[in-house]
Amino acid sequence: MISRFRKLPVLIILGLFLLGITNVYAQPSPDAGKVLFTANCASCHAKDMKSALTGPALGGAEANWDTKENLYAWIRNSQGMIQQGHPRAVELWNKYKPTVMTGFPDLTDDEIASMLLYIDGVYAGTYPPKAAGAPAGAGAVVDEPKGSNLWSYGLIILFLAGLSYILFRILGNLNQLSAAKDGVDYDKPSLMKVLTSKGLVTFLLFCLVIFGGYTTVNRAINLGRQQGYEPDQPIKFSHVTHAGLNKIDCQYCHDGARRSKHSVIPATNTCMNCHSAIKVGSQYGTAEITKIFASIGYDPLNNKYIENYEKMPEDSIKAIFTAWMTDAYVTDKGIAAIDADGEELVDNQWRDIKKSLTNEQKKTIPGPIEWVKIHNLPDHAYFNHAQHVAVGKVACQTCHGAVEKMEVVKQYSPLSMGWCINCHRETEVKFSENDYYKSYEQFHTEIKEGKRTKVTVADIGGLECQKCHY
Amino acid sequence: MDKMQNNNIWVGIKDLEQDPSFIEESGLETSLIEQIADSKNEEVFASNRRDFLKFLGFGLGAATIAAGCDIPVKRALPYVIKPDTIVPGIANYYASSYIDGGEFASILVKTRDGRPIKIEGNDLAPSGWGTTSARVQASVISLYDTNRLTGPQKSEAGNLSLTTWKDLDTKVKSALATASGIRILQISNTSPTAKKAQAEFIAKYPSAKVVNVDHSNYSGILDANLADFGSRMIPSYHFDKAEVIVSFDADFLGTWVMPTKFASDYAQMRKITDLSKAKMSRHIQVEAGMSLSGSNADNRILVKPSEQGVAVGHLYNLIVGGGAPVTGLNDKAKASLAKVASQLKNASGKSIVVSGSNIPAEQQMVNAINNTLGNYGTTIDTSNAILTKQGSEKDFDALLNEMKSGAVDVLIIDGANPVYSHAKGLQFAEALKKVKTKVAFGLSKDETNILCDFIATKPHFLESWGDAQPTSTTLSLVQPTIAPLFNSRQVESSYLTWSESPSTDIFEYIKATWAETAFKAQTDFATVDAFWDNALQLGVMSTIGGAAASFGGGTIDFSAVTKVSNAPLEISFKESISLGNGQYATNPWLQEMPNPIDRTSWGNYLAVPVNFDGDSSMVGLNGLKDGDLAKLTINGKEFTVPVIQQFGQMPGTVSINLGYGRTEAGACGTGLGISLIPFLTDNNGYAQNFSSKVQVSNKIGKEEEFSCVQYHHTYGVKGKDNDTGQMINADEAATVFFDYFTGIKGFQGSLTDRSVMYTSNLADIKANAAELDKKRKHAQYLNSKQIYGGHDDLYNNGHHWGMHIDLNACIGCGACTVACMSENNVPIVGKKEVSRHHEMTWLRIDRYYYGDVENPNTVYQPMMCQHCDNAPCENVCPVNATNHSSEGLNQMTYNRCIGTRYCANNCPYKVRRFNWFDYTTADSFPANQYKKFGEELTFGAENLTRMVLNPDVTVRSKGVIEKCSFCVQRIQEGKLTAKKEQRVLRDSDVKTACQTSCPTGAITFGDSNNKEGALHAKLELPLNFISLEEINVRSSVNYTMKVNNRDKSLDA
Repeated sequence: MISRFRKLPVLIILGLFLLGITNVYAQPSPDAGKVLFTANCASCHAKDMKSALTGPALGGAEANWDTKENLYAWIRNSQGMIQQGHPRAVELWNKYKPTVMTGFPDLTDDEIASMLLYIDGVYAGTYPPKAAGAPAGAGAVVDEPKGSNLWSYGLIILFLAGLSYILFRILGNLNQLSAAKDGVDYDKPSLMKVLTSKGLVTFLLFCLVIFGGYTTVNRAINLGRQQGYEPDQPIKFSHVTHAGLNKIDCQYCHDGARRSKHSVIPATNTCMNCHSAIKVGSQYGTAEITKIFASIGYDPLNNKYIENYEKMPEDSIKAIFTAWMTDAYVTDKGIAAIDADGEELVDNQWRDIKKSLTNEQKKTIPGPIEWVKIHNLPDHAYFNHAQHVAVGKVACQTCHGAVEKMEVVKQYSPLSMGWCINCHRETEVKFSENDYYKSYEQFHTEIKEGKRTKVTVADIGGLECQKCHY
Repeated sequence: MDKMQNNNIWVGIKDLEQDPSFIEESGLETSLIEQIADSKNEEVFASNRRDFLKFLGFGLGAATIAAGCDIPVKRALPYVIKPDTIVPGIANYYASSYIDGGEFASILVKTRDGRPIKIEGNDLAPSGWGTTSARVQASVISLYDTNRLTGPQKSEAGNLSLTTWKDLDTKVKSALATASGIRILQISNTSPTAKKAQAEFIAKYPSAKVVNVDHSNYSGILDANLADFGSRMIPSYHFDKAEVIVSFDADFLGTWVMPTKFASDYAQMRKITDLSKAKMSRHIQVEAGMSLSGSNADNRILVKPSEQGVAVGHLYNLIVGGGAPVTGLNDKAKASLAKVASQLKNASGKSIVVSGSNIPAEQQMVNAINNTLGNYGTTIDTSNAILTKQGSEKDFDALLNEMKSGAVDVLIIDGANPVYSHAKGLQFAEALKKVKTKVAFGLSKDETNILCDFIATKPHFLESWGDAQPTSTTLSLVQPTIAPLFNSRQVESSYLTWSESPSTDIFEYIKATWAETAFKAQTDFATVDAFWDNALQLGVMSTIGGAAASFGGGTIDFSAVTKVSNAPLEISFKESISLGNGQYATNPWLQEMPNPIDRTSWGNYLAVPVNFDGDSSMVGLNGLKDGDLAKLTINGKEFTVPVIQQFGQMPGTVSINLGYGRTEAGACGTGLGISLIPFLTDNNGYAQNFSSKVQVSNKIGKEEEFSCVQYHHTYGVKGKDNDTGQMINADEAATVFFDYFTGIKGFQGSLTDRSVMYTSNLADIKANAAELDKKRKHAQYLNSKQIYGGHDDLYNNGHHWGMHIDLNACIGCGACTVACMSENNVPIVGKKEVSRHHEMTWLRIDRYYYGDVENPNTVYQPMMCQHCDNAPCENVCPVNATNHSSEGLNQMTYNRCIGTRYCANNCPYKVRRFNWFDYTTADSFPANQYKKFGEELTFGAENLTRMVLNPDVTVRSKGVIEKCSFCVQRIQEGKLTAKKEQRVLRDSDVKTACQTSCPTGAITFGDSNNKEGALHAKLELPLNFISLEEINVRSSVNYTMKVNNRDKSLDA
């Protein structure tokens, strides 16, 4: 006990130290930069910082500019710099025009510095820090694999059972000896008799009721929850390919997340932004991407949208897409005409396309792709993506897990109320950054006076019923 | 000086007479009627202990199966091509116009994911045009009316069936081609585009002629203005500039001409912000039955309906001088009007006299009075004429004669429903048989169009393109907010198709019309497209000012003035504030909204006068009491009507609302109440809204489903304590017997003197404000000494939501109650449930009378959850389903509620509502559901009706309590907007539904911690009070003392 008390001050100091570390908003950091980069830059600039997309690669950007001030001014208002005739600005403009870089007049110096730190880190390969052990991008919680404790419990139970049996035998023998000493007859109780005794049966029944009740309650609580839900989707869309390998930003497709309650499953026309050029997939060839074309009515052979597609008979639709798949097969194999294997492949692919795009309600192929909804909240729970993504700056992976590593997406979090509440208890709000929180004068005073180090979601009412239920 | 009248208010007769059952019920959460067995539904709902075990078994079994089964697969459907403007989950607002039967409001339509779900006022519209009424608010649910026609109809042997547009067009065109007499009968249409399309039609078929009618008749005033000004119009009235307002039976705040605009103006002269400069208009209403305007008036001068003409005549003689007949006017009214005349003369150029009369001679006298008073050009503007009413009864009669003589070959009917809504409806139905081809434009079936050969189904105004010119200087656009739900075609397109016009596309047609007219009249925009985009975004625009018409003073035919009847009883027929003349009977929100005056819903009630017997009780006509059935005989025809005792109803008169008794008005309008339109009397071809050939019998029975909410959810009721003889608060009678150590029995002061309402006359306002201040300080002092002290330290961080309601601005119109239903998915419960105190409204408008019992003043108090910081409901919930947020909200968590209703019992304001049934079919157990109209599927269970639901608000199921949330979904949305923009929250971010719907700006909502906010300023006003402040619940809603400008000398 004494030693424990001795440790207490040490723990407190350590705790304070850790709190100090986490409260680093004021200084630029690559972590903050990553969030900012994802929110502002990633839709045009490549995440590897080495290749050019809509905008140039950002790696080494600082070296290309004469002064830090000019670079910052460029980020805030690129057109202004071009008009001023800054040589680097004009050079970039000539290379990329007429694409105009979006201005970010609201970014502070610290925020830009954070982003540049992050960019340099990625470019140089020093970010994310290798030693941390956390998977890149996951940002936070990823479970350690847990070994099962069951066998050790079993061993203990076996050991205790054996021990009680031995003790029981010893007790029996002692009783018998003492009875013999007193000259009384002693009927040594058999194991059977003990096992069927009233006391033990009552005890076992009691245990059964407790265990049964416990299980029932737990099961009941879990009703309707589907953590780990991993349904088949109409298209074998690979987040590994898109978000992992090609590093497409989550919010490029899920563009509702920053502004709406829904993160939004992208419309087919969003897919077409890239897939009008990328027509054969790396994993499934034409099998999956053709479904996009069949949904929206794009003729990949002739590179044009089909007119009056909604009213087109199925045979004509089939003709267009089988012709495309045949062509792709022939080109891939480098043969002159399609062979039997190819015909079978095309046939199978077409049947799969039809199966994926039609169902009992939707009889025709044209129209929306009916994805299976994975994350389902009950109707009485209100959740808003924008609040978490745009305001709280929570990384997508915090709740959805490392989606960029999921070939098939599954529900990573339990989406239970306890899980929400725990996060609200722990998560700090962006208190000093966002002017909205100015109305919490008392907290500001407390921070100034040193009475308070952080403001969590719970502190501003994040645990109250009507934040989510109304 | 008048003593401040605190608690000298009453709800109705039961309150005045200290009816024991009323006092007992007021302490209960719901009525004693509750316990009466529901015989009709017994087989469905009766359950006993065995059933309980069955349900228990079923529940466990179902849970087990549910646990074992897979969760059903849910699909998520993205767009194929996402429109740029739509982000799922974010509402879009489109500017449009509400134009229906001559009413106009500039509106914003809130759409979520392509569905219109709420109507808001357009705040970009010029003052007063962008405000809404209950009818405007309710119009969104009529879009999703299951009774709507799904496509064009043709009639075969009297039965309507679906047909194709091609078939309809061919047949109509061939009928038109051979016709020698074509008539178009329509509700007044102000749309320039529609007129242009009609002109093309008339050019193609020159025998076509247009006949305009209105839902209510305005022929009298229009013809009078034609005689006096040379133009058939109604001038704009500026009630915001009038210091004295005299209205002869014109309900300008409820139904007359342009009530929302008038109400918005009127309230500006009624608000008091500064005691030292307190000033308000004086409003004198001359009428028999209590109207909405009458209830807001300072003085009411009682005259019988047949005396209206001579009453105007008397004022005419006093002001203009000479000639008008005054025989038969009662002496009291004569004396009062003489005093009114002198007040009017003192307020020359700053007064308004209006009349609801439908006789040109009487309206001409009113014009002459206004002219002598110098009101034209100051308070009455003839240069900006109101054009929404153009109906002509003479034209209609001529049409009827033509039809009877067989001169009409093709009759096209648009919007009008004369078979129901015209006094000569039966004759019209008969004459229709002689018309070869009858074509109607209609949304759904009505009494007239089911007699037609074709119904060219038209889209709802939320699905249409269109425009309107409500006044001569205002132009407004209508734009669709959803693709047409059914196979409908716009009226204009039909005209163009039949006239074989090259352009039948209505969008291009309107744009071309505007390019020709409005675009050329302006200089701000260089291109048509830029002009058009701007016009669409604004919704409404003012064109250049019109020319003023000068008063010509036509000769007045005094012989046409109504002769006073000497019959012992007269009945007046009034347009219903919610249902109009029956045109809104299909709208369930309007049916459920209680009539502001008598608080009845789902039917029309005969208002009978009550007289004080000089002792303690009130005597109704023939001893009739609320909810009694009586036999009403008009012109020899007998009806059985339920009765309501109405304060302020003139002795010797009764009144009843029109708009009921429809025979073809969908599930919720058909067969409710009785239709009295056929009994409108005739005066030289002008329909009169009264009759003298009327008798009312004694009580013949009791109405089974008495759907009047006046005694529902009353609070602050006082009763006489038997032991002490003192008047104490009734709902605490059981808890307050204190026998102090002194041996003296008594009550705490607060229990005998409840602050429900404070009223004052304008003359005594300073003294009464001082008195109020004293009372409030006293209550606050006592409160501070209680163990439940203040929580100010808890709530001064972040936001603290509060509300301020200016009772001097509130006119009781009910727009807020409908807006609340629309915003918060409040269920409709129907007549029977209302009669059992089960109405679900989160926001009710309590109506109290005060002052003279026989001719009282009225005050309206919008009452909703007060979000008490010491909420009594929170402490008694066994499961903590209702609790307090750090922002001062009293939170109701439906999924936690187990329905003990302790909270509702403990609420001093009676604002909590319990879901006795699954009114909105939120869960799928049919036995929980209540079939309002005996239908197969519960009302609101079809996918069509459900489209109106607000997706941000949970749909409650059976067995949970609900109540006003201060529109928490809007609060959260507003906060999020501010957070996303990284700025402090502004007042404009969060506005509650009731606040935005209020035409008079009576409601202010906001963060009381925000020192710069509008609410904070309002909370400083000197007339503020908190209802039941002395019980220390710390309500977050402030009201103002009701101030009237009653002239006591008129009562003498």
